[in-house]
Amino acid sequence: MAYFRITLLRSAIGLPEKYSGVLRALGLRKRMRTVYHPVSQSVAGQIFAVKELVDVQEVDRALSKEEMKELRRPDPGFYIESKARDRASPYEG
Amino acid sequence: MFRPSLPLGGGLLWKIPWKLSSPQKARQRKRLKLVDKVVDTVSVALSKQGHSTKAVERWYTEMPREEEMLAKDKYTIFDRKEKKYRKGIHKLPKWTRLSQRLNPPGF
Repeated sequence: MAYFRITLLRSAIGLPEKYSGVLRALGLRKRMRTVYHPVSQSVAGQIFAVKELVDVQEVDRALSKEEMKELRRPDPGFYIESKARDRASPYEG
Repeated sequence: MFRPSLPLGGGLLWKIPWKLSSPQKARQRKRLKLVDKVVDTVSVALSKQGHSTKAVERWYTEMPREEEMLAKDKYTIFDRKEKKYRKGIHKLPKWTRLSQRLNPPGF
């Protein structure tokens, strides 16, 4: 099932009340908030009403909050070859 | 106030340049392209499902795309009170968040 991935880039502060109402209906409360909605005509109309404020992509699957957070995690800069607890201790046996 | 001048001295004299600077124009083009991209994404996603929306179709028939627009329409707007009937688009309130692409024909 296809989804719209909608991110609020520009806030609706100072614009007519209509814009903030549409954003609230889409679940976009703060800038840089990303929401997923299934592709449908009603959602398309809502996106079209606030097209100057949002970024839209079509994706196959809606990501959960945890998955989106995992994507934002920076690269730690190292990798683990082996863990000490997995190796046999030289002092045993 | 270190440098007494009319704009700093309060009152109603503001200094808004009469035309956009080139970085402002570049950002204006970028915003126009972003809106085009959003409309394209929505229409492609709907057409994959065999749907369409009246608002999107109307946009395609009426609104020019960024690359089809004349520089005159990108950076200026019609105003009947101006000399030569044009003023900079930055005089339009909230101009960075509006789709102002069409002007009266012949002006």
